[in-house]
Amino acid sequence: MLRFVSSLIFCFSILPLVASDSDHWAFRPIGNPPVPVVKSVGRVASPIDAFVLAKLEAAGWNLSDSAAPQLLLRRLHLDLTGLLPTSEDIHAFENGWKADPKKTYTAKVDELLASPHFGEQWARHWLDIARYGDSDGYLGDTLRLWAWVYRDWVIDSVNQDQPYDQFSIEQLAGDLLPNPSQSQKIATGFHRNNLKNTEAGLDKELARTKQVVDRVATTGNAWLGLTVACAECHDHKHDPISQREFFELYAFFNNTKDSDISIKLAKDWPLPKPAKKKDDKKKDEPVVPKAQTLVSLSEKEFRKTHIHIRGDYSRPGEEVSSATPAVLHEFPEGKRDRLSFANWLFSEENPLTSRVVVNQIWQQLLGSGIVSTPDDFGTHGNPPSHPELLDWLATDFRNSGWSRKKLIRQIVMSSTYQQSSVNRHPDRPNELLWRQNSFRVNAEAVRDIHLVASGLFTPTVGGPSVYPPLPEFVTAVGRSVKWPESKGPNRYRRGLYIFLKRTVMYPMLTTFDAPDTSVSCSRREMTNTPMQALTLLNDPVFFECAETLGRELHATHQDNVEAAIEDVFQRCLNREPFPGEVATLSSAHHDLLQSAKDPELAMIATARVVMNLDEFITRD
Amino acid sequence: MLREDGLLAEDSSFQAPHFAPKAKRCIYLFMEGGPSQMDLFDPKPKLNELDGQPMPESLLEGVKFAFTQKESARLLGSPRTFQKYGQCGMDMSDLLPHLSNHADDIALVRSMYCDQFNHLPGQLLMLTGTPFRGWPTLGSWLNYGLGSTSRDLPGYVAMTTLGRGLPGGAASWSSGFLPSNYSGALFRNEGSPVLNLANPDEISPEMQKRTIDAVNELNRQRYGEVANPEIASRIKNYELAYRMQSAAPELIDLSDESAATKEAYGLDRVDKTGFQASYARNCLLARRLVERGTRFVTLFLSTWDQHSKLDSELATNTKISDQPVAALLQDLKDRGLLDETLVVWGGEFGRTPLGENRSGFKTVTGRDHHPYSFSMWMAGGGIKGGQTLGTTDDIGWGVEEDPVHVHDLHATILHLFGFDHEELTYRFQGRDFRLTDVHGKVVQKLLA
Repeated sequence: MLRFVSSLIFCFSILPLVASDSDHWAFRPIGNPPVPVVKSVGRVASPIDAFVLAKLEAAGWNLSDSAAPQLLLRRLHLDLTGLLPTSEDIHAFENGWKADPKKTYTAKVDELLASPHFGEQWARHWLDIARYGDSDGYLGDTLRLWAWVYRDWVIDSVNQDQPYDQFSIEQLAGDLLPNPSQSQKIATGFHRNNLKNTEAGLDKELARTKQVVDRVATTGNAWLGLTVACAECHDHKHDPISQREFFELYAFFNNTKDSDISIKLAKDWPLPKPAKKKDDKKKDEPVVPKAQTLVSLSEKEFRKTHIHIRGDYSRPGEEVSSATPAVLHEFPEGKRDRLSFANWLFSEENPLTSRVVVNQIWQQLLGSGIVSTPDDFGTHGNPPSHPELLDWLATDFRNSGWSRKKLIRQIVMSSTYQQSSVNRHPDRPNELLWRQNSFRVNAEAVRDIHLVASGLFTPTVGGPSVYPPLPEFVTAVGRSVKWPESKGPNRYRRGLYIFLKRTVMYPMLTTFDAPDTSVSCSRREMTNTPMQALTLLNDPVFFECAETLGRELHATHQDNVEAAIEDVFQRCLNREPFPGEVATLSSAHHDLLQSAKDPELAMIATARVVMNLDEFITRD
Repeated sequence: MLREDGLLAEDSSFQAPHFAPKAKRCIYLFMEGGPSQMDLFDPKPKLNELDGQPMPESLLEGVKFAFTQKESARLLGSPRTFQKYGQCGMDMSDLLPHLSNHADDIALVRSMYCDQFNHLPGQLLMLTGTPFRGWPTLGSWLNYGLGSTSRDLPGYVAMTTLGRGLPGGAASWSSGFLPSNYSGALFRNEGSPVLNLANPDEISPEMQKRTIDAVNELNRQRYGEVANPEIASRIKNYELAYRMQSAAPELIDLSDESAATKEAYGLDRVDKTGFQASYARNCLLARRLVERGTRFVTLFLSTWDQHSKLDSELATNTKISDQPVAALLQDLKDRGLLDETLVVWGGEFGRTPLGENRSGFKTVTGRDHHPYSFSMWMAGGGIKGGQTLGTTDDIGWGVEEDPVHVHDLHATILHLFGFDHEELTYRFQGRDFRLTDVHGKVVQKLLA
């Protein structure tokens, strides 16, 4: 539920000033702690388990039993791809499990890590941090018809398991690499995702400086887990970052300009056409694909950086040059540009970056970070629940060549990950991980699993963003109103591909806590509201899913209600129903049959019941 | 079966007020674009006298405009006629024939000022206390602080009568970094008022009820298996959703309103855009919402951004809004609701005493954005009516007495709702945030 506020003019704290320095845990060097020896040796499938068990055993507890194989399969699918397994997947997995559970599980993990949908799922997490959007966000909310090129770059990078250091360096400074490739230039689109105010009559320099502040803040959130922007207006109240140091960081980002470049696309997508004026009689010119990139100013264009007194650019204070905060590791001799800054982030001595990213990934797989405030590793954030484990993972991640797939594999192979999420001790908090956490799937997955379970799903990976139908009263609130509704299979694409127009956010996604992308977000809120119930019940998209599924159930099973119930449970919940559930749903079907105009509609309504269950949208 | 006990009464997630509140509900009439104060509330005879003259240079130093070219700009008088109304003798122009009957109910603040001269930053400042996206709006803060008192409608509702659209779109009722259940719900004033409120065509009310019963029963069984507390919330929310499905259509069904009420609001007025009838309907719905326990209602009317054709467009806007706004005040009063309902009227800033001579304009017929002084008014909910607070200088450029910054306005509103604005905080990113940031003083003179 914590989002990073970048553009904070006056941060404040009602807490007293805390003397903090390099003694704070997050600024200490990353250790390489020995793997503890534990009693439950049989549960140690990964060093992760030894760290978790050591704490559990000290508290007199243990890990929960492993979850049932069907649940593990569902969990892996949801976590690694954001999608559901098919009936065939389930049968094959169950059969394999009977012969050799470990081999079957391992093979499934490797299969899903290699799936193109893996990149979509894990790109989505990164796109929150990158505050990705398809429009500028302020009054004009100008459309960014080529923003998706960057989004696809992220998906590809994740799918190819591009080492995280390269992934990061290219986004921060791809343009400064020797002979940058097209792909490395596209990567710099990371810092083109910020909001941009182009309102007529605007103070342009104010708008520009706010973009730079956001870039510094987003960089701080993504790679340092620090709320550096607090120091925009004054010395940070509780972390050791002075206002001067903020503007020294700012100086790294103060000498860039936007540059939209022509590119060659690897795939022949139907390309978005720029809007034409009504009377424009000119023929449509062929659309040249573009990418939004960032480049450095030439030396003669270079700006000096001054401290902004009270965060007000029109009150320039002392001049500063690029530098990094003194509390962190030293900046090497030589050039001080964005590239050397990006390299500095990945220097061996950096105590933060590896911990921060390991924690970001951990929270997606366990429901909560080892540091539960992923955007605040500072003195006001929460300390890690398992500091040694965090360090071990951070070191292992670095030693593995910054491979995100290896890290994810390491985690999902652990007993800690595979244990049951059943809350056997409702009064016992789960900080020590005596069970897996259950949590609602994210907004995009709520949509995606409906589409998959119904069979409507269009699995195309990448390409220009799509516009599923929306009622006009929703699209009319923004000023640039066009919403060119997508037709055919594009209506059934993953939530990730829905055009993210910042003044007209797709309501279903917002209702399920997709961030508004104003600022970098490394942890989504998780609400549970009546609007969510109305959406799942009545949103035309979800009703179409229930209709499609219900029709198929009816065609396949006709009057055999129990078989239909078994089938719909398998498709949606990926398990067999309990007898009590069969009884409840049969009875509902019976009643629905009385009031429905035909048996098919009764089956549709029955499918709709299952698609509205909490379990359907929960990752247990 | 659906339970009928009050769910929200069990909701203890909100804070408690710090002292006894005067206001329990708020209707915020947001005039998007920046209404011209010297043509509505703040008469400036001296400005009329100086019409066509340049402005004193001393006043222009360091001043920024959105469009006006400073060097050649000339003062622009107002063609409006003003009179004093009510016991208190409040100034209002001929464009406000209905509101002027309520002079003794309202507190007019002529000394508002802010530090944003572009629309969206100005609107966000007025709505969230900061000029940036991503922050909670006032309505979200109040629902966070007090919870909703409606059993079957959202605690925070936004409705719109839009010309050019809203610069901030959905950010104008967003909960920002507060949990999204504190976000405003966008209602329309006809058809199905809330998105996804109506059942799919094929699903009868009977089927819907049976569906929700089955969902809740299966969720209960699941809860018995796994004891995940989110399931208990999910069950409650399906119950609330079901109740909303009947409450919201009832809300917008005006058949139980008398002909006199409809006429008073001007529901049957006809104009080319339909805005007169639409805004009247929104005003009436605002009353129906607060009557049913909704905590905060914002009605957006767009746009008052008259860079040109000020005289005619201002008349159009007041024609749309003057009658229904006055009727709303009267209606709240007649029903004994005004005492505990705060009504706020205002935009994001005012307009310049200078005529706008933007390059490309052949004639000067409008005014530019003006953050240095503007007018707003409030009524009900613990406000001391029948007073005009603050003065501006002879030409209406700057505030002379009793300056009220947007943060002060926010502090005052929170005070009316029983909150010390420095204490109503939300912890986010390791810090405690508040609506007024590090600013704000309660304007004591406004309190009854």
